[in-house]
Amino acid sequence: MDKALIALAAALAIGLPALATAWAQSKIGAAGAGALAEKPELSGTIIILVAIPETMVILGFVVATMILFTVK
Amino acid sequence: MIVRMSKIEIVGPKPLIQDVLGVIREMGIFQIDAEAVGFIEKDQEKNIRSFYPAKRTALEKLFLEEILLKIDELDSLLPGTRTRTSYIEPRSVLDAIDKAADRHIALAKDLRLRLEELQKEQADLSRHKLFLDSMSSILANASDAPDLDFIGLTIREPDMVERLRDAISRITDWKFELLTKKADDGTLVGLITVEKAVSEKLKRSLSEEQLPELSFPAAFAGLSFPEKIVGVGRRLELISGEIGRILSDLERLSAQWMPIYERVRQWVTDRLALITATASAFESRMCFFIHGWLPSKDLDRLRTSLDGAFGSTVVIEEKEIKEEDLDRVPIVLKNQAYFRPFELFTGLLPLPAYTSYDPTPFIGIFFPLFFGMILGDAGYGLVLGMLAAFLMRRFKKRKAVADAGRILAVSSFYTIFFGILFGEFFGDLPQRLFGLKPLCIERRTAIVPMLGFAVAVGGAHVFLGMVLGAVSAFRKRERKEALYRIISLIVIFCVMALVASLSGLLPSELARPVIIAVLFMTPLLFFTGGLLAPLELLKSIGNIISYVRIMAIGLTSVLLAFVANTLGGMTGDIVTGIVVGGLLHLLNILLGVFSPTIHSLRLHYVEFFSKFIVHGGKQFEPLKK
Repeated sequence: MDKALIALAAALAIGLPALATAWAQSKIGAAGAGALAEKPELSGTIIILVAIPETMVILGFVVATMILFTVK
Repeated sequence: MIVRMSKIEIVGPKPLIQDVLGVIREMGIFQIDAEAVGFIEKDQEKNIRSFYPAKRTALEKLFLEEILLKIDELDSLLPGTRTRTSYIEPRSVLDAIDKAADRHIALAKDLRLRLEELQKEQADLSRHKLFLDSMSSILANASDAPDLDFIGLTIREPDMVERLRDAISRITDWKFELLTKKADDGTLVGLITVEKAVSEKLKRSLSEEQLPELSFPAAFAGLSFPEKIVGVGRRLELISGEIGRILSDLERLSAQWMPIYERVRQWVTDRLALITATASAFESRMCFFIHGWLPSKDLDRLRTSLDGAFGSTVVIEEKEIKEEDLDRVPIVLKNQAYFRPFELFTGLLPLPAYTSYDPTPFIGIFFPLFFGMILGDAGYGLVLGMLAAFLMRRFKKRKAVADAGRILAVSSFYTIFFGILFGEFFGDLPQRLFGLKPLCIERRTAIVPMLGFAVAVGGAHVFLGMVLGAVSAFRKRERKEALYRIISLIVIFCVMALVASLSGLLPSELARPVIIAVLFMTPLLFFTGGLLAPLELLKSIGNIISYVRIMAIGLTSVLLAFVANTLGGMTGDIVTGIVVGGLLHLLNILLGVFSPTIHSLRLHYVEFFSKFIVHGGKQFEPLKK
């Protein structure tokens, strides 16, 4: 039972931020594609903007790893 | 590297301004600054004003612009096959060219108009010919039946034939014949044979149903169908001959005159560029002043050229770049051969400010390193190395692709290096086939050590960025900012030491002094960085943790390779196994090109460069041909 809860906690720790990242990137990506059509020189800025929400899922990954490998 | 620039003032007698600009333009190393601020001393401002062109120059500009418009119009009217180069001296023939251009435009317009009319007639007659050719066997005996009338049609859709037949039968009381045939171009043509008494009524009905009769031009009215077939054929031959003549006339006109016009256009464009450049200059009662920027290494070359052309009458002076000028200094990036391909990535960012750093060398050093750490497979590295060699050989002339190939070549080298350390060659093949152990660490199972390694790499990278940021602030004499950056760096270092101490990596006794040090630094942090300083600090810690992606993306790559080998092995057949495993490895390699690239770049753009690079530089745009 404990193992199942640990696994569920780890899954939630990475799953929820992954959904949040996906949602944020979908919004930024759509707006970025529109902006790029008007101003192609903004490509660097758009890459940065699209990449920013990825930090959430990386932090989620770290927390999930911690849960799996440190919680006994 | 950002090239060192010099702030320059060129002074000379007013009549020489065009010649001086001509020399500058020829060299293509000097950017004119249209702003007087920072160049002219305050007490001299009342004596110096923007260069006011003489009336003669203004008239010349209008005249040249008009010639340019005429040449452009003529160019659009004439075909583009030109092989000759003209060496005529344009200045002496400008008036004659102006008049000749009017004449040639009128001639070319006439020829084009006639050509369009003939091409339209040709298209119409071709449609008729198509009909006549398709129906020729039926129409051959048409002249033998004087009481009958023939109506030609083009039927858009085959489904309409039955509906058409019903409609005609109602009007003609079944006294008709409808023949259809597919023409050579695939369209359906129809011929209705009816008594002359009802033909007019039928034609009206067809017209109302949007099926108008295929009517022949007036010149063919009254001719029988066989005569029409012959007449249309002859007319088409005539038209085709005349079109050929007009086209060759246009070709001849283009070949004879366009090289001369091209030569004049080039001269006029150069001349107009010089006249326009004078608008950016300044003048006193006797002298002109040209202000601008050039790379410092080119200053002597410019001085020698101006001395050679004008002697001591034109003076060139290097001025001091003051603090308020720094935002206006144009930027030139120049890197060594190894780093030059990485300018491809730098180009995605806005240019750095003059006092900041060129991001290219940093990307050149760390990008391939991170790429290799993420992909870390000797087999994949070899495949990417071969792909890089192909790109470099095949696309030598396409700079962007060749540069991408060079970047991939360096990255593949690091991929092989880390692949050897991690013991990976197409995943865990060495272990499966030969029982070989990794030299350094097995990424698939050593998750926590790899996580720590990635954070350590992030810490080192972000620290380097913060140190460079502090150095940059010191150079700009922003002492408070520099102090804030150093304190932030120390606090982050202490936080990392605290985490290491609490997790057993460092002695636990270290925790207390580190906490005291952080508490001591906190007021200083607020004092130097303001109320938002702790927030910035948290952001920096987040930046370091973000480097975990090096391990996370790498882990997905390792696991996919492991799955490829396991699935390949499960097939039980060597050929099927190689195909299954090979396809999955191919997918992994494709992902392995894009994923590490995007994530390595992101680590540079967001985490690293935000610590020390200030953007906002303007591109160096010299006056040149």
